[in-house]
Amino acid sequence: MYSLCHKLIQTLKHSSINYSEFMIFNHHNKSDTFKMLLNQIGGLQILLGFTIIIPFLVSLLYGEYYTAIGMLFSSLFCLIIGFILRKGFQTSFEPLHRHALIIAALGWLSIAIMGGLPFLITSYITPLEVASLYGQTETNYLPSLYFFKNPLHAIFESMSGYTTTGLTMAVHEPSIGKGLLFYRSFTQYLGGAGFIILSLAVLGHSNGKIAFLLYGTESSGERLKPSIIETARSIWKIYIGITFFSFLYLTIGTHIILPDYNFSENVFNSINHAMTAQSTGGFSTLDDSIAGFQSIKMEMLYILPMVLGALSLPFYFRVINNKEINQFWKNLQTRSILIICIIGSIVLSLMLMKSGVIAEPFRIGIFQFVSALTTTGWQTSDVHLWDSPSIVFIVMTAMIVGGAAGATVGGIKIIRVLLIFKGLIWHISSYFSSENSIKVLKFNEKRLLPDEMNKELGSAATFSFIYLLFVLISTLVTYYFMGNGYTIIDALFESASAQGTVGLSCGITNPDISPVLEINYIIQMWAGRLEIIPVLVLFRTIFLGTNPKVV
Amino acid sequence: MKIIIAGDGEVGFYLAKLLVIEFRDIILIDTQKDKLEFAEKNLGIATILGDSTSYEVLNLAGIKSANILIAVTSIESVNITTCLIGKKLGAKFTIARIDNKEYLVDKNTLDLKDLGIDVLISPESLATREVRYILKSPALKEIFNFHGKALYLMGLLIDKDATIVNKTIVDTADLIPHNSFMIVAVHRNGTTIIPKGDLKFHAGDLVYFMSTEEGKDMVIEYAGKKPIHIKNVLIIGGSRTGKSLASKLSQYYNIKLIDKDIEKCNYMAKTIPKVQIVCGDGTDIKVLEEEGLENYDAIVSVTGNSETNIFTCLIGKEYGVKKAIAMVENIGLFGYSQKMGIDTLINKKMAAANYIFRYIIKGRVLSHLYGVDAAIHEFVVKPNSRVTQMPISNLNFPQNAIISGVVRNGNGYITLGKFQLKPEDKVFVFSLPQTNSDLKAFFN
Repeated sequence: MYSLCHKLIQTLKHSSINYSEFMIFNHHNKSDTFKMLLNQIGGLQILLGFTIIIPFLVSLLYGEYYTAIGMLFSSLFCLIIGFILRKGFQTSFEPLHRHALIIAALGWLSIAIMGGLPFLITSYITPLEVASLYGQTETNYLPSLYFFKNPLHAIFESMSGYTTTGLTMAVHEPSIGKGLLFYRSFTQYLGGAGFIILSLAVLGHSNGKIAFLLYGTESSGERLKPSIIETARSIWKIYIGITFFSFLYLTIGTHIILPDYNFSENVFNSINHAMTAQSTGGFSTLDDSIAGFQSIKMEMLYILPMVLGALSLPFYFRVINNKEINQFWKNLQTRSILIICIIGSIVLSLMLMKSGVIAEPFRIGIFQFVSALTTTGWQTSDVHLWDSPSIVFIVMTAMIVGGAAGATVGGIKIIRVLLIFKGLIWHISSYFSSENSIKVLKFNEKRLLPDEMNKELGSAATFSFIYLLFVLISTLVTYYFMGNGYTIIDALFESASAQGTVGLSCGITNPDISPVLEINYIIQMWAGRLEIIPVLVLFRTIFLGTNPKVV
Repeated sequence: MKIIIAGDGEVGFYLAKLLVIEFRDIILIDTQKDKLEFAEKNLGIATILGDSTSYEVLNLAGIKSANILIAVTSIESVNITTCLIGKKLGAKFTIARIDNKEYLVDKNTLDLKDLGIDVLISPESLATREVRYILKSPALKEIFNFHGKALYLMGLLIDKDATIVNKTIVDTADLIPHNSFMIVAVHRNGTTIIPKGDLKFHAGDLVYFMSTEEGKDMVIEYAGKKPIHIKNVLIIGGSRTGKSLASKLSQYYNIKLIDKDIEKCNYMAKTIPKVQIVCGDGTDIKVLEEEGLENYDAIVSVTGNSETNIFTCLIGKEYGVKKAIAMVENIGLFGYSQKMGIDTLINKKMAAANYIFRYIIKGRVLSHLYGVDAAIHEFVVKPNSRVTQMPISNLNFPQNAIISGVVRNGNGYITLGKFQLKPEDKVFVFSLPQTNSDLKAFFN
């Protein structure tokens, strides 16, 4: 009798569809939900712990032992917490859609907080004599490493890294040491493709339904292969492949343009920059970002990796796996990005030229526009000096728009902007057809019926509206808490930069920033990476619980 | 010759009716007893009640000795299955009616001929093709092409203000350019006349011309028709024919398609590019007015209901639409609807039956005209035949038939009195039905 029961339970467990269906109807209480959330976060923490081992090895390679110790402790800390959560809160509870959103929001927050540990620990344990050797500059300034003694700064840096923003508290980048520089780039690299996708690809244990829900929270939700786990794996393969290409391209390019450049430095820079370009993060290993090379050729060299990072990963999948080369001009997003890059950079350059405040308007205009549109955030110019129209232009057309959905970029995403524009034209032209006409819209190779279009348009418009609202509120917060000498336009720029995970800065972000503003930006970057909704769902859960509200 | 027809629908019945004149050994298979009884009574042919995909039924019909198996039920997969089984059981030649145009067009993926289906016909494609020809030269009422583009048979209605009204054919001879077209028949008050030179044209005559490619425009000029240019086309009804028409014609015209069923409309809106779909009742004058009926050059009504189609076309005519084409499946309505003023009728079942008929009677009867009791025959002149001995005018050609054109080496010629036939010429003869046997005797 017992063995029969056992068999029955086993079969029930294995037929996952029945099982999950069964669980949905099963009444579950709050503690179950909570257990499940902590369990999932534990999984992400374990993953984080393991990933920190890579920068740990890099620190050892460069003989930065204090940094290595910092990394090791952080890694162990994450692993211990992760295992406690994972083992301590085991539950058979199946997440629903809202839970997937909450997992994404909480998971990213926890990663950003725990990811700040290496900065924090290293800054406390590294003696001044050692730190002042970092970057090999004449030490007439305090090594930037020590700014991370403020835990908020460490979390800020980590959040800016994992969300691929690129705003930084390290004023002089090289003075935090090679280990931490690599860690910074590495956080962007992991954050770009997505932590949840990484956990799906590596762990691959979840069943199809949860995997699909989780996958949808972090990216476009496009299925490249029948199973989500396989999809996640192929996304990572493509991601790594293109990064490797960028790395070779940058190393060889740098070597040709600057033959006298130290080769090991070149390789280190190229690895880091390839990672931060592909993730459109924009952390740099140089003081003054890409401008640090002081070469116009180098700046032009760096444009390609940024554009590659802004194109959607499903697009690469089609080009590489299905050999559909025509996707370059057929794919709506890719085509639009290339066109906007060209037109936008020319317009920005002309505007800068007219204002006359910048020495080389075309050099600056082209690089900065591409950097902003792709939400990379490499900076070659002091935006604070720009005239207001140019700043407003770059904010409106590049930073807020962002790159392709399905890429690692922030912003509203080009596809939504196009949809809203096309929808507007569609809406107006529909007044010219009769009432009974079924006014179809062709968008992205698909023909959308009015109902479908209204739905798409509604969600795109809602998202864009919330997005702009975030930027507006944050601009006002910035205005009241920023330092002296900045204008409301600077506030708009900085806030759009944080929201769009761009990372260009006009100087408001610095180690003396007001804590209120710093927390504001942390929330913005977090919401910006996850496309806001998961964060709002989390807030709703915190304040109103998970029960549906009936009016 | 033994012929088995699977499916006693309108195509099957009409086909049997055409074939029974030539062949006695025809067997009709269907699953509906009433229909079979009707066919048996009216046509006097053998019938079998049963499913045509069953071995037993096919064997009972004598599939082993069948020369031709024609599957024309309304279900595509039944037709294909019947032909596949029939071929294996011994049928020599198989014909299947299909709906999926892929099978017709895409021979690379899979050629159904390899599986044993010799001819595929799609009534929707045939109807679409007819409409396309008519819209190309909208002054015409009907047009058929023979031997590719060598010869055309064109039917035109003579308007009362045309110059040839009340003149005889001889009177207008100077209007006929040399060897480009000739008049082969005149349809007046329900009877068809093979004209002599002294025939006077009346207003409202339906005149059939045989013409070469170059003569086509001159025919229109001769009949006093102004060339109409079609740009906007309104299609009523999202039937299979409607869909096929819309997707095909959208390459050439601005198309609007009206259908009642919202599900159907949504599906079409999603799948057919460059066609404006409207969801509404095509017989509702309010709806048609709102869609700007008066701005359309042509209206093609292809709903499943013949009466609706006729009615909608009449409304269209009332609003000044230049060309009204109605799909009329009910053959009994043909005469009346033409009288009421509908420009052109299409009947996909007749089109399909004609098409199949042409395959069977290879090189003889080419076409039956809608509402006109006449047919076009094709004969190949045999070597040493006596018809090659003298010019056509001297031949003692049967009454009520006329040699209307010859295709020699792929080129079309209009045959006037002095023309002399040569062996291997393909001769097209326009004839009234009672002369069939005389014609056969004449050419053999």
